[in-house]
Amino acid sequence: MLGVQTMEEEAGRRLRELDRLLLQVGRGDREAFARLYSLTRGAVYALALSLLGDAQEAQDISQDAFVKVWENAPGYRSQGSPMAWLLTMTRNLARSHLRQNGRQVGLDEEGWNAIPAAAPDVSPEDRAALQAALSGLDAGERRVILLHAVTGLKHREIAQLLELPLSTVLSKYHRGLKKLKSLMRGEMYQ
Amino acid sequence: MTDRELEMKLAKAVNRAAPNDWNAILSRCGAQNGSVTEMKELKSNQNIIDVEVIEVKPKRKLRPWLAAACAALVLLGAGGGLAYHQSYAVASVVSLDVNPSIELKVNRAERVISCTALNTEAAAVLFDMNGGADLKGTKLDVAVNAIVGALVREGYLDSVSSAILISVEDNDQARAARLQQELVASVDGVLRTQAPNTSVLSQVLTMDAPALDNTLYSSGLSAGKAALVRKVMEMNGTIATDSTTAFDKLAALSVEELNDLLEAGETRIPIGKSAAAMAVETYAGTAALNSATTDVDPELDELPPHYEVELKTAFGEFNYKVDPFTGEILSGPKDVLNTQTTTPAVPDPAPAVPAPGAQTPGTQTPGAQTPGTQTPVTPPAVQDQDVGQDAAKQAALDHAGLTVGDVTGWKIEREWDDGRLEYDIEFWCGNTEYDYTIDGHSCSVVKHEWDHHPEYNSGHHQNGTGSGGTTAAGDIGEAAAKAAALAHAGVTESQTTKMQVKQDWDDGRLEYEVEFDVGRTEYEYTIDGVTGAILEYKQDND
Repeated sequence: MLGVQTMEEEAGRRLRELDRLLLQVGRGDREAFARLYSLTRGAVYALALSLLGDAQEAQDISQDAFVKVWENAPGYRSQGSPMAWLLTMTRNLARSHLRQNGRQVGLDEEGWNAIPAAAPDVSPEDRAALQAALSGLDAGERRVILLHAVTGLKHREIAQLLELPLSTVLSKYHRGLKKLKSLMRGEMYQ
Repeated sequence: MTDRELEMKLAKAVNRAAPNDWNAILSRCGAQNGSVTEMKELKSNQNIIDVEVIEVKPKRKLRPWLAAACAALVLLGAGGGLAYHQSYAVASVVSLDVNPSIELKVNRAERVISCTALNTEAAAVLFDMNGGADLKGTKLDVAVNAIVGALVREGYLDSVSSAILISVEDNDQARAARLQQELVASVDGVLRTQAPNTSVLSQVLTMDAPALDNTLYSSGLSAGKAALVRKVMEMNGTIATDSTTAFDKLAALSVEELNDLLEAGETRIPIGKSAAAMAVETYAGTAALNSATTDVDPELDELPPHYEVELKTAFGEFNYKVDPFTGEILSGPKDVLNTQTTTPAVPDPAPAVPAPGAQTPGTQTPGAQTPGTQTPVTPPAVQDQDVGQDAAKQAALDHAGLTVGDVTGWKIEREWDDGRLEYDIEFWCGNTEYDYTIDGHSCSVVKHEWDHHPEYNSGHHQNGTGSGGTTAAGDIGEAAAKAAALAHAGVTESQTTKMQVKQDWDDGRLEYEVEFDVGRTEYEYTIDGVTGAILEYKQDND
């Protein structure tokens, strides 16, 4: 119980910090913007990657998303979910990019495999975790698992962000997690 | 490894794999788009043209119409400058609030200069309109109708008493009044066919009206909704204490709830639709259930005020009434997951005749647990005792000549039909499906139907005892699978054609394939046969 409370407190503290940072960014504070970037770039990248399926495109859209955050932060109002505000912007950019390119894709094997190879900070252990998540789960499961793990969004918020029923998100989450555990243990999922 | 540890490992890996492009991003960050600050200047300085010209900034990719406008500006030289100012000067600000809040700035020609989503729900509504950018340059009435259409499609205006607030901010009061009248008539026309129970509220605000202090009240609100909140605060007295807590609580409510409070003169602040839904899910024991969804309808202007909550689960649909100020459940079954073995602790009241003047036809008056001032009108049926679920089950079993150990796949719904309490009971024995309606007062069999399904020869519906992992004890049934698909598609069965529901087993998992057409759109769903979760769905437009 204590652990749960601590996690909730931590989540609340993080939420308040993001909210405060966004308001500061809205007033043109570049230091706050740098801090916001360091706290959220993983989440923005994870969402872009899960929607686009291409490491290079995800990097470009992540850049665009933060530029857009800077431009639009003066219009940000506290609504309780700064991460959702940021990720909604990222989602819209990624979808718009897909539409412009006339494609609707999930992640392919090649796109996922490119990430660990292209990132020098990724350890062999990271590589194994990513490899399992990236190659063993279907696109929907991957999206939900990554968002839950990296962004700290709740299932209801993920459902809203991906415009899916909560039941679908929960089902994909539990099924994906089960598969991931099997894969991490070195088992082949059938 | 626990789920949490696994997630943390994955999060660390992704964070390390994410490229650090800080310098590249910083080099691209120029001037910021103004909004809140500019609105403040707009209100205090009344210098519309000077302020709003700031809105038109060079963007990385100019939209074709904007590029053409800029080209024309260059050609026209100084003379063109006036036209430019007139085109982009904000004459009126129109906000549309339901729960999503959307703000439209329009010029004197009543064309949209900007369309802004003020909250994340609004961003979803505007998504198909390129975040609102597609509405730039369109006539105001066209843009408003497009947004209202999207609000209906997204389900924000589908309850029996939804409300939309149209606010027009303009210093030219005559123009504001005309716009208000035209927009209300136009929106009313759209909603009459698409969401006939929606109330259209409207107000005119002046741009120099005393605004709520944005630094004190930092919620993301349109000026229109802020004004509505202010009216409620004036009514309930919290404006005098300048209470930010009251403001935040009221700002989180929907327009429908705020309007109900004003109409009823209710000074207490309700808990909100989300909290009411959560109270029901906790009470019903479905908070952790994948397939449970809720639909909340505020009835704050009724006596006594309450939230009506419809809980949809794989086991059926249940109706609740929730005290809007304490979150106490006033009526509805407790712990629906255990309905097979327990009788609801707080039984549903019998439907009563709606009180004269009640807003919503067919709304049930609260039961004995609810304090109220209405004269109770009790149908004869309520005088009879409820025999209870277990007795109803036993009556069905006795009639079928079976024992509880013989059957599986129980599905029980308790409902009122023409003033009589009935239990709809379904179960399986072998390949035979039994469907009973049992009178809830006398335990007599009202209706029964047996269907033999020789096609199920794999033993999926064999007895629960010893049947192993393939038993269909938790089978939600075709009707629930169909209901889950229809709910997801946002349509009723009467709107569909070519409805097909097939039971299937996939890798040992019970599934239902549900297919139907709505107009020229074809829907295909795969529904989990035990949880009711939507596993897959496809939508094809011919």
